[in-house]
Amino acid sequence: MKLALYALLCVLCVPFVFPTWWMVTSSVKPMSEILAFPPKLLPQTWDFSSYRQVFEIQPFAQQYFNSLYIAAVVTAGTMAVAALAGYAFARIRFPGQNVLFVVVLTGLLIPSEVTIVPLFQMFHTLGLTNTHWPLIVVPILGAPSVLATFIMRQFFISLPGELEEAARVDGLGRFGTFYRVALPLARPALGAVAIFTFLHSWNLYLEPIVYLSSPELFTLPQALTQFVDLYGGPMWNVQLAAATMTALPILVVFVLAQRQFIEGLAHTGLKG
Amino acid sequence: MVVTEAETRAVAERAAARRPFWTIRRRDYLVGYLFITPQLAGSVVFVLLPLVLVGWYSMQEWNVLAGTFEFTGAENYAKLAADANLRSVLAATGIFSAGLVALNLTLALLLAILLNQRLRGTTLFRTLFFSPVLVSLVAWTIVWKFLLQAEGGINGVLGAAGIDGPNWLRGEATAMLSVIVVQVIKNVGLNMVLFLAALQGVPAQLYEAAKMDGAGAWTRFRRITVPLISPTILLTSIITVVGSLQVFAQIAVLTQGGPGTSTTVLIYYLYQQAFQFHHFGYGATISVLLFLIVAALTLLQWRLRRKWVFNEA
Amino acid sequence: MRPLGKLAAVAALSVLAVSACGGGGTPAQSAGPKTLRMTVWTASEPHLTLLNEIAAEYKKTHPEVAEIKFESIPAETYTTTLTTQIAGGNPPDLAWILEGSAPDFVASGALAPIKAKLDNAADLIPSVTKLWEKDGELYAYPFSTSPFGMFVNTDLLEDAGQDDPADLVKSGEWTWEKAMAMSAAVAKKGKAGLVIPDFDDYKNWTNLSTIWGGWGASAWSADGKTCTFNSPEMVEAMTFFHKSVFTDKAVPGPGTTVDFTAGDAAMAVSQISRAGTLKEAGFGWDLVPLPKGPKGEYAVIGQAGVGVLKRSPNAELATDFLAFFTNQANSAKLAQFFPPPRQSLLTAETLAKSNPLLKQEQLQQVVIEGIGKGVVKPTHTGQEELLQTVRTALDPLWKPGADVKAVLDGVCAKIQPMLGA
Repeated sequence: MKLALYALLCVLCVPFVFPTWWMVTSSVKPMSEILAFPPKLLPQTWDFSSYRQVFEIQPFAQQYFNSLYIAAVVTAGTMAVAALAGYAFARIRFPGQNVLFVVVLTGLLIPSEVTIVPLFQMFHTLGLTNTHWPLIVVPILGAPSVLATFIMRQFFISLPGELEEAARVDGLGRFGTFYRVALPLARPALGAVAIFTFLHSWNLYLEPIVYLSSPELFTLPQALTQFVDLYGGPMWNVQLAAATMTALPILVVFVLAQRQFIEGLAHTGLKG
Repeated sequence: MVVTEAETRAVAERAAARRPFWTIRRRDYLVGYLFITPQLAGSVVFVLLPLVLVGWYSMQEWNVLAGTFEFTGAENYAKLAADANLRSVLAATGIFSAGLVALNLTLALLLAILLNQRLRGTTLFRTLFFSPVLVSLVAWTIVWKFLLQAEGGINGVLGAAGIDGPNWLRGEATAMLSVIVVQVIKNVGLNMVLFLAALQGVPAQLYEAAKMDGAGAWTRFRRITVPLISPTILLTSIITVVGSLQVFAQIAVLTQGGPGTSTTVLIYYLYQQAFQFHHFGYGATISVLLFLIVAALTLLQWRLRRKWVFNEA
Repeated sequence: MRPLGKLAAVAALSVLAVSACGGGGTPAQSAGPKTLRMTVWTASEPHLTLLNEIAAEYKKTHPEVAEIKFESIPAETYTTTLTTQIAGGNPPDLAWILEGSAPDFVASGALAPIKAKLDNAADLIPSVTKLWEKDGELYAYPFSTSPFGMFVNTDLLEDAGQDDPADLVKSGEWTWEKAMAMSAAVAKKGKAGLVIPDFDDYKNWTNLSTIWGGWGASAWSADGKTCTFNSPEMVEAMTFFHKSVFTDKAVPGPGTTVDFTAGDAAMAVSQISRAGTLKEAGFGWDLVPLPKGPKGEYAVIGQAGVGVLKRSPNAELATDFLAFFTNQANSAKLAQFFPPPRQSLLTAETLAKSNPLLKQEQLQQVVIEGIGKGVVKPTHTGQEELLQTVRTALDPLWKPGADVKAVLDGVCAKIQPMLGA
């Protein structure tokens, strides 16, 4: 039985692992070997020059920092905004609550291709194109944060009703209840929000390309598109080296954090 | 943006001073509004306002290059209703979304259940299944385009098993299947993690008790697991349905909507009209249609939740 | 108390971080020195170095220009980004324009006229400026005019016991029939035969004009009003191509990428500007003109232009810079990457200096004669929509046993209404 389970897991794993494996190994293959058929599991010659080129062609360290700080600010901001709004929608009664919740939910339903032009017009009027502002402000307050608010609301709604009672007995006001009692309990939900938000910001593709024009302001997914040869063809090994450097650190963080994250989620149970 | 200390204190003080007006309920109203202000203001400025503008554009003949911007009223909507492509685009959208959602949720749940068994090494497998989420879309699609070629890796493996694989991205059915599978593998890890967390929250005693009562594995799954994780099922299905209607980049890279128009889904059609063909007003009209479809689907799921979601008021 | 402070700190920090790192600011458009912005799809280091050199030189004599920025936008998102910027009221001052978008840009009036300002406009070769003209006025400078030629892997051909194409050119036997037969012979031995790299996904069909040109076929009539996809010449040419792919296997089928530069194919139809990719090729190669078809010799050129956006607030200054950018001296510099559209620069000697990999003979045959008699790939207003419609209608052709005539009739049925309009 156990053996069968392991076998099943191993087989299922292949389509998940192979592309990543290919990406990592191809980044140290010379160009001519990358498209060889059938693909080799290991490079025949190891060529690390692509990793050096990544930094020579683009201000890659700066771009890495850009992506990192934007994602960090967006994640922190979204957690704050979403926790507040989610808590209010779930546990405070006020007139117009349901209508306003629906208004907010609209953001969940809109693909970025739909609103990119009006948003671009807006930021251009404010003189904020070719800055990081649109990449920070829109995700924290606009459509992308709605999913976070939704997750937080669904979590807070599942907390027992006696929560506020108990807090009041302890002499806590609304904000105290939120901050001292509800928020600590919500750590797993906040974890989910953090992961979703961080990855969303980290992988943002269309927006940076549309808004940013100076290489030193670029983010990573955008930088990946800049590794091309004289004829516009992708420099595959360099692109894949950059892609590897983009993915691996995050993967390591996930490995380190996942136990706490998943078990934390399980501990309280993310109730939808 | 954030409620400051001073504000809360001020509220409290005012409340103390004028008790008759600042009842607990009124104070709650104020706190509630303050809490949602950042999100609400953001939604109005960055979502509703652009949406209204899109609605306005949908009533224009707007050629971005020529700079023409003419009010044409409902003309774009009439054009959309008469658009010969619309039927096939809607069909492709339906097949894509239904296939994506079904495969994604089933696979996510299956993986979560497998990983929830008491086995050594689940951490490793969990990481492996999650890893595609972190790989850049650019790299991911390059790899898959390569794998799905007529003489690519997939057919290489099938060939070793004596199967003559199809030319995946060139056949109408196989192209659709490929796009769905590639997208599912990329993102199923997120749903898997959510399911896994929900599964671990199901008390083990419940299963023990059910076992004593002679319930089989399937009964236990249907009667205990599903109801208890139903809130997570609702959340993931909403996220996935909404997300499925927004998948753009993979289709652009893998099939460009082809062969024929077999993988031209609504969002891709919108992109073609607005950005490739420069019919910006018409693109906005398609946006409105897309928005209405997503809204209707989400509303439907939200309504249905009372019927089957455990623990939801 | 304390937690609130923490929240506030996070908020303050975000603001600080943003202002510290995002402070690109907007260029001042009023009185002071101006910033010019040119969108390009190349991100290649040598290209950008050259562009910046030219810009720096211009700035020396033009103190009113603070900076000239070259904005690299990836090719796949180029049109989207450009459209968004124009629609959003922030058009670049100058833009590279893809050949396929040329008719839309020129016809829409989005570009400013440039003819009067250009340095020695009379030097421009008429056949290459046609695409960028409307009513006798020129709207973009075709800075890259690159003929298609046939790259051949002489090692592979020799191994398969085939003739040297250069000899066939000399003896006048270099025909499509012959080229396909030779490719099929190589393909039989395991490597691929003839590839069309720009058409390897069987989507960008305008590149097929490099073949059907030999049959005298065209996508639509010269006035652009009538579909000629189902003309006898086109049916014959497409039947020939279809047979080469699916019966003779001389051309790899759809969904197979073969890299000529890695030595995996016998022949490749490509633009001569790609010769640079063969610098480190580990095999013997040659460049010859496209083979003759039943209608004799012909040539096809691919182009890219650079124009000034009419709605740019600095249109006049941008036009002045464009004139400088494309003057005789700078055109000569650009010629090392992009074959120039100027008669005076189109000599085998000048070209040889910047294309060290090619022999003078090759340059004469393929480039100079090619540009002289070349036709550009099919173009039409509403280009992108037409391209897409034809691509969709052609898809049924790319499988064995397809009915060529029926598919091509289908193409005309689809696009005739769009052409007539």
